[in-house]
Amino acid sequence: MIDQRGVRAGDEGRESTYAVKMDGITKRFPGVVANDDVDFAVERGTVHALVGENGAGKTTLMNILYGLYEPTEGTVHVDGVPREFDSPRDAMDAGIGMIHQHFMLIEPMTVAENVVLGAEPTKLFGLLTDEDAAVEVTRDLAERYGFDIDPTDRIRETSVGEQQRVEILKALYRGAETLILDEPTAVLTPQEVEGLYGMFDELLGEGKTIIFITHKLGEALRAADRISVLRDGELIATVQAGETTREELASMMVGRDVLFDVSSKAVELGDTTLAVEDLVVDDDRGIRAVDSVSFSIDDGEVFGVAGVDGNGQAELVEALTGLRSAESGAITFDGADVTDHSRRQRIADGMSYVAEDRQHRSLVMEYDLLRNGLLGCQRLPAFSNGPLVDWEATGQYVDDVLEQYDVRPPDRSALARSLSGGNQQKFVVGREFERDPSLVVAAQPTRGVDIGSIEFIHNRLLDLRAEGAAILLVSSKLEEVQRLSDRMAVMYDGRFMDVVDPDEVTEEEVGLLMAGEQPDGGAGDR
Amino acid sequence: MADQRTVRRTAGIVAGLLIALVFLLVIVPGALAIGLKLLGIIDASYARSALRLTVPIAFAGMGGIFAEKSGVINIGLEGLLIISAFSAIAVMWFIGGGGTGARMIALFGGVLASLVVTLLFAIICIEFKADQIIAGLAVWLIALGFAPFGSIVIWETVNSDSVGSFDSLAMPLLSDVPYVGDVLFTATPPVFLMLAAVPFSWYLLNRTAFGKHLQASGEDPRTLDTAGVSVRKVRYMGVLLSGLYCGIGGAGLALNAGQFAGGGETITSGRGWIGLTTYLIANYNPVGAFLASFGFAGLDALQLQIQGVPGVELSSTLIEIIPYVAVLVVLAFVGKTRMPESAGEHYESEE
Amino acid sequence: MSGQDPGGLLDRLVDATVIERIVISVASLLFAVVVGGVIVTVSGTVATCREPAFVLADREFCYDPIELYRTLFDGAFGSLINLGLTLQETSILLFTGLSVAVAFRAGLFNIGTQGQMVLGALGSALTIGWVAPSLPGNIAGTLVIVPLAVLVATVVGGLYGALPGVMKAYADAHEVITTIMLNFVAMGVAFYLVRNHVGDMTTDSVQTTPIPEFARLSPTIDGTRFSVLVLLFGLLAAALIYLLYERTVVGYDLRTSGLAPEAADYGGVDAKRNIVGSMSLSGALGGIAGAMYVLMVHYRWETDMPALGFDGIAVSILAGNNPLGVIPAALLFGALKGGSLQIDFALGIPPELVEVLRGFIILFVAMPEFFRMIGNYAGYGTEGGETDG
Repeated sequence: MIDQRGVRAGDEGRESTYAVKMDGITKRFPGVVANDDVDFAVERGTVHALVGENGAGKTTLMNILYGLYEPTEGTVHVDGVPREFDSPRDAMDAGIGMIHQHFMLIEPMTVAENVVLGAEPTKLFGLLTDEDAAVEVTRDLAERYGFDIDPTDRIRETSVGEQQRVEILKALYRGAETLILDEPTAVLTPQEVEGLYGMFDELLGEGKTIIFITHKLGEALRAADRISVLRDGELIATVQAGETTREELASMMVGRDVLFDVSSKAVELGDTTLAVEDLVVDDDRGIRAVDSVSFSIDDGEVFGVAGVDGNGQAELVEALTGLRSAESGAITFDGADVTDHSRRQRIADGMSYVAEDRQHRSLVMEYDLLRNGLLGCQRLPAFSNGPLVDWEATGQYVDDVLEQYDVRPPDRSALARSLSGGNQQKFVVGREFERDPSLVVAAQPTRGVDIGSIEFIHNRLLDLRAEGAAILLVSSKLEEVQRLSDRMAVMYDGRFMDVVDPDEVTEEEVGLLMAGEQPDGGAGDR
Repeated sequence: MADQRTVRRTAGIVAGLLIALVFLLVIVPGALAIGLKLLGIIDASYARSALRLTVPIAFAGMGGIFAEKSGVINIGLEGLLIISAFSAIAVMWFIGGGGTGARMIALFGGVLASLVVTLLFAIICIEFKADQIIAGLAVWLIALGFAPFGSIVIWETVNSDSVGSFDSLAMPLLSDVPYVGDVLFTATPPVFLMLAAVPFSWYLLNRTAFGKHLQASGEDPRTLDTAGVSVRKVRYMGVLLSGLYCGIGGAGLALNAGQFAGGGETITSGRGWIGLTTYLIANYNPVGAFLASFGFAGLDALQLQIQGVPGVELSSTLIEIIPYVAVLVVLAFVGKTRMPESAGEHYESEE
Repeated sequence: MSGQDPGGLLDRLVDATVIERIVISVASLLFAVVVGGVIVTVSGTVATCREPAFVLADREFCYDPIELYRTLFDGAFGSLINLGLTLQETSILLFTGLSVAVAFRAGLFNIGTQGQMVLGALGSALTIGWVAPSLPGNIAGTLVIVPLAVLVATVVGGLYGALPGVMKAYADAHEVITTIMLNFVAMGVAFYLVRNHVGDMTTDSVQTTPIPEFARLSPTIDGTRFSVLVLLFGLLAAALIYLLYERTVVGYDLRTSGLAPEAADYGGVDAKRNIVGSMSLSGALGGIAGAMYVLMVHYRWETDMPALGFDGIAVSILAGNNPLGVIPAALLFGALKGGSLQIDFALGIPPELVEVLRGFIILFVAMPEFFRMIGNYAGYGTEGGETDG
């Protein structure tokens, strides 16, 4: 059995101030150096943030600490003792716990069953599991750390915030002294994020150490005692949170000075391209997801929709692009009522769509890029002659996209699945942008994309605006919406809380709107 | 809890069947009379023969649950039944003799053969990442060819010589219990094994750490892996359990009959597939799978006995397809049978 | 790095280059041949025979594996009649193989070709039985009745294929399970109908009355029932299906819908309808196979039709689900079937061996990883392992 206080025989008395110390870590994958001679140390009883862009090697470094990868070179010390981990189980035995970005929970099982999975309390000499003990142990742990959670709930029925707490309980049950959290705030509302920071305090109070991975600099500055910056697999620096600035961290992270305001505004607006009136949309379960939303977008305008995921943005986008039918309301596109038009018609009318879920929606992973280039275009006259596909024209179009959008490999016979996330997205963006659309709906266009590609996609979006297209940008990255939009709506619980000028509004105001509160004090639910 | 939901679901299915039956009795002219005649058939000997016929179906069904829960769809259940039925009779024939002891050895031989084939299937699916559906089909098709091939090699015809069948044993004391004793506790060893396997399977799945690991392995293997449990081991165990169960089921079937018939669909005549339907109908609950098996076997036994009843014309063929229609109805209309999330997918541990 | 392979074999089959596919198929074939040889040789020690084929270490072996394959080849191609028998099987396997391949190519497993074929055959046999009496028994009658029989079989098979398609698209029922179950249902229902209602009541066997002379496709090679028309029709079907998937918008939509329904919807295609479409097309080809069996081979519907539908799975898998690849694969399995009679006559080896071989071929093709490992081990590997992240 695991000792829940986590005091391990043999480790006692070794007084190292470092909970974790990684020396000279190098990790090579075929063709890639993910970590290059990284020295990383975390003082016991502190919160340590690990920041860096996507692909900087943060997760790889932590996976090494958690025993998922073996380092090619270098050593790992935990509590001053050198360790070699062959598996997460070894790391857990040494008191390391990891909460992955994608939760590792078995949906049909209960909270308690998930907490004890792999280390179940048993009775009858190990023949049977002791369900009551599992519930008891979970409840005790939750109470000790002040987590509000029912051990007998099924994971399916719990919220994202609760699931995160279950993950933390799982690690604590296994005697974790050091907790690694991979992008813990990605799925939380600003208020839930504050709750998470509260949990950090509880955990520190019990003597735990916390490492959290993030690419959001504000969070690192807010919650961490010390911050380490990784770039291209190398550790650039470790600094005290109180002694650095956002700008300094950003330039260390990217390797050059970063301007936080690059948006070039003020293009002359033309006619109204898209007008939405009192749109009501239900989700798959028949629950109202979009509740009488109205707005319009002009030629040459970027209209942004900010908000925490799951507040109706997905359904709004699907209703606009023709993938979901509206319960009521009207959608007018280029002067025509398209509310009842099929997806196919809307494509033909000149609507392009960069979908949020590129792996399932905007790409067929089993197809090569040539075939993916045809997706959505297969009935446009430029791509087919009547019933026959014009592969020649498609091929040329695809080659153009590959070249202009710097997709690697620039090989039309490469399978979509074999491309990195950033290259997949550049390809999708290229395919959708180069069709000369009059409206582009871009949903989370830079999710899971490396920073170089993000900049590229942003610039192309602005180019397209300059060419006179109307653009609807939906993103849960507030920075992104704020930077690119001419006008910005904040969506909460199926409604637009407000439409604001992104240059005028403060982050605090937007944060409140995103949580359903009116900045002037009134509640959002009218 | 899930158990309650299962109970409600089972109750729903049973109620649906009963309503259908009543409906049938009322609308089909003369059906009521036939129904009454059929009731006359139902007695202890009928129940015993139904239980004997349940053996291969229930073992295949319960075995299939273990494999699929672990994330490996074993569609080769029918093939495993065939292999073990053939092997058990072959072993019996080679031993050439006598009592229950020899038959138990033959049973063991059948189980062993099934386990060997299952191990190969497991290696192919887990190590060589073969498609589970196709590999399972291959197991069936190979067995379907190999058993008659072997029969001809050994006995020069597709049917084996008769080797004698299991005698019924009476459990001391228990067999004297009125009504039940005669049916449940005077039976052949495979029937006893089955009656023990039902609660055993339920406990293994629902009340042991292994059961939880099995479920986790089928739902989300990565989570199980990061919790420090080897997905590979769990999956091997799950698949091998299905082989063990099919081994007992197939050998039990053949040794209850005392002969292996290799023509057409062979002696198993689709019972492995019916086993597959039972656990889908029961949504992966071994007790439900057993009950469904007993129900289908009961129909089968009925159909055999009807032939002796004058004045009753019921198509045996139509009765035979009831399990298949039932599972189609459940899949299409009840729609709550949920496959484990990761069933059919390979899992590769990182590094 | 993703730990899971989300799509399994279908992905990897699509992945593999054409050359890789051919290498894997040929290697699978060779492995199956070796395994079959071992099984036969070992069986030979158990079997009783008048004179052993060879004696080794004081053990008598009744069967000689080399002789087996020589005889098998001879039985398949050794004479004009043998060739005719082989091509007769091949012609029908083209249709069942295409039936499976059409679905597979679109990411759907149709295990139900057998049932679709059985019902298609019954549909065509019954149609002929009903219509033939009112037609002239000459070439004009033939020109009416043969296309009509094929058409009915196409519709019957197509509808029976649409059923699991609908269940898949609208009730999310796994098509592997439903098609397997529908096979049993088809066989049961057909048996019941023929035995009790529409069959030839003058005999005890469960069969329909034979179709008249003018509805039969006349043999091209005497002594067999092989009609070159069926072969040509099959080759044409293979070519058309190849073109459908490679060149047409509809084919692109069908494939996309099966492989990635959400992406198909995104592309302005009704994925559910197209899934039903793929399964219907697949079922229609199964139905046609049934019609061909009635018109060319058996001249009536009879219970216990040969498992040509299951052979179709083997054909399609060996062909890498490529409609053109189905042609050589059908020929191969046709040859195995044609030759199986000879190994029974000449060597006394049970012809069921061919079914065992069929199973092993499927098994080996289903595990390309096995061959990649062998290839890598032997140093012929082209890639240094698989990394996808």
